Amino acid sequence: MTDPAIVVRNLSKTYGSGDRAVRALDHVSLSIEPGTVFGLLGPNGAGKTTLIKALTGITDITEGDASVAGFDIRRNPREAKARIGWVAAEVILDDDFTARENLWLQAKLQSLTNWESRADDLLQYFSLKDRADDKVSHFSTGMRKKLEIALALLHQPRVIFMDEPTIGLDVSTRRMLWDIVTQVHKEFQVTVLLTTHYIEEADALCDRVAIIDHGRILAEGTPSELKARVKADIVQLETSETLDPAVLAAIPGVQEARAQGNDWLIRVASSEGFLPQLFRTVRTDAIRRISVEKPSLETVFLEVTGRRIGEEEPMRDVRKFYMQMARARR
Amino acid sequence: MTLQWSPFWGLYARELLRTFRNPFVLLITIVQPFMWLAFFGSSFSAAPASVLEATFGTSNYIQFLLPGVLSTSMLTVGMFGSMSTIQDKRFGFMKRILITPTSKGLVFVTKALGSATRGLIQFPIMVAAALAFGISFHLTALEWAAWVATLMLLAIGFCSLFLAITARSTDWQTPGVVSNFITMPLMFASAALFGAKYFPSWMIAISDVNPITFSTLLGRSFVLGGAIDWSYFGYLAAFAGIMLTIGYVVSSRWLAVE
Repeated sequence: MTDPAIVVRNLSKTYGSGDRAVRALDHVSLSIEPGTVFGLLGPNGAGKTTLIKALTGITDITEGDASVAGFDIRRNPREAKARIGWVAAEVILDDDFTARENLWLQAKLQSLTNWESRADDLLQYFSLKDRADDKVSHFSTGMRKKLEIALALLHQPRVIFMDEPTIGLDVSTRRMLWDIVTQVHKEFQVTVLLTTHYIEEADALCDRVAIIDHGRILAEGTPSELKARVKADIVQLETSETLDPAVLAAIPGVQEARAQGNDWLIRVASSEGFLPQLFRTVRTDAIRRISVEKPSLETVFLEVTGRRIGEEEPMRDVRKFYMQMARARR
Repeated sequence: MTLQWSPFWGLYARELLRTFRNPFVLLITIVQPFMWLAFFGSSFSAAPASVLEATFGTSNYIQFLLPGVLSTSMLTVGMFGSMSTIQDKRFGFMKRILITPTSKGLVFVTKALGSATRGLIQFPIMVAAALAFGISFHLTALEWAAWVATLMLLAIGFCSLFLAITARSTDWQTPGVVSNFITMPLMFASAALFGAKYFPSWMIAISDVNPITFSTLLGRSFVLGGAIDWSYFGYLAAFAGIMLTIGYVVSSRWLAVE
């Protein structure tokens, strides 16, 4: 059995002290198998970037342990960092240098010898060979991202950290980057830990996903496993007249129905079976709006955090609804 | 502590290459001391030769001033080194460096030595400018080398000082503020612009321990001739060594990453 690529045990990180102390990570534990693409999914401020900073050794760990590629990041930082690649949220290159010079500097920082052929192969792989001797300040965003990934791969790392790799990118560049991450992971056989607040990105790229919020890991599993936690479709219904809860509850397949005024959140086993029944039970002209949400990482996130990923503050009623349902299932 | 030669060479070369890739920095590095020489140096051009001889030991004030201007410009070099480090922090490049086996202490050493070396670009330009102003030089090869080494030691000391003071800062304005606190007192309380013999006693006390004074007097003895006190060189070597050590310790512990 191979050792995990990343092990995090009870890791906490607190910024500041006293009354102004902010706990960015709160007893996080993770074990990431080698060769996987692992996603940390959470909103801004959830602690994703702090975890990457802790695992790459650029911020101190307040409590707990972490090892990367078999080396404790606090006790053996140099050995760990020699096996780490890093792709930043914002592209970080030396704009005064050419693509090849950026690779040269990265090779020097990693004390590589005979790096040139590897650099040529990477430039070729990322279709940058023709522009190798151009200053990177003249590169498009997509080319700069590709070069940054080439820098991360130059020293044949065991683990690559990608911190919000597609943030701020247009749709086509984001898609291109998704393809690159998938290909790179297979081609170079590296473990990838990426952070994202894009649900679809985590779903499309990651073998396993951990949902993080307020510095805590709230759920972890494959996207399928996480979706299986939500064993129902969610129907949101707005009506123009008051409905009798008993009428809705009597429809076969309804697991839970809660209302705030005339706004309903109904958990059903299958929306395909539920909707025809609903239309037979409720006058269709009394239905103002109806929407169906199939199990997705979005609904998983909603269930475990009580809010949608883009929302700053929890929607109290929805949170309460999900919390109550979660408790009811236990 | 083992010196990591490969990242050392990479980061040191980066400091120098970036200077030549950035014409604006290069221009400022060269123009500023040149302006001092041209404008401040010409301020005594109408003074009687006998007055100049009596005051400065030469009838050409620019000849007197050149070693002083070169010495004080090493303070500016320290400020640029500090600004370059803050730029790396703000643009995230410091993270790129430190997510490799490269240590914070090594980053400091390469910044200090790189900035100091960059400062020496001024030397041949200023000597050429002085020649254009009619100064003649009668230095031996050893004296030329010693003069360059003197300025290098001074620059290493000041770069280290600036980098140590601004190790935790990520604010663009900090090097400028620090420069204002350091540059003016050290420049004026030294023998760089005038001899110290007419200073009040408190300024003489500062000047007597001011590394700019030691660098200026050593350079002046090369340019004007006369006895060379090599102990000044030892003093500057100690200044550079101590500042480098302090900067290394401070940066290893407190250098901010972003």
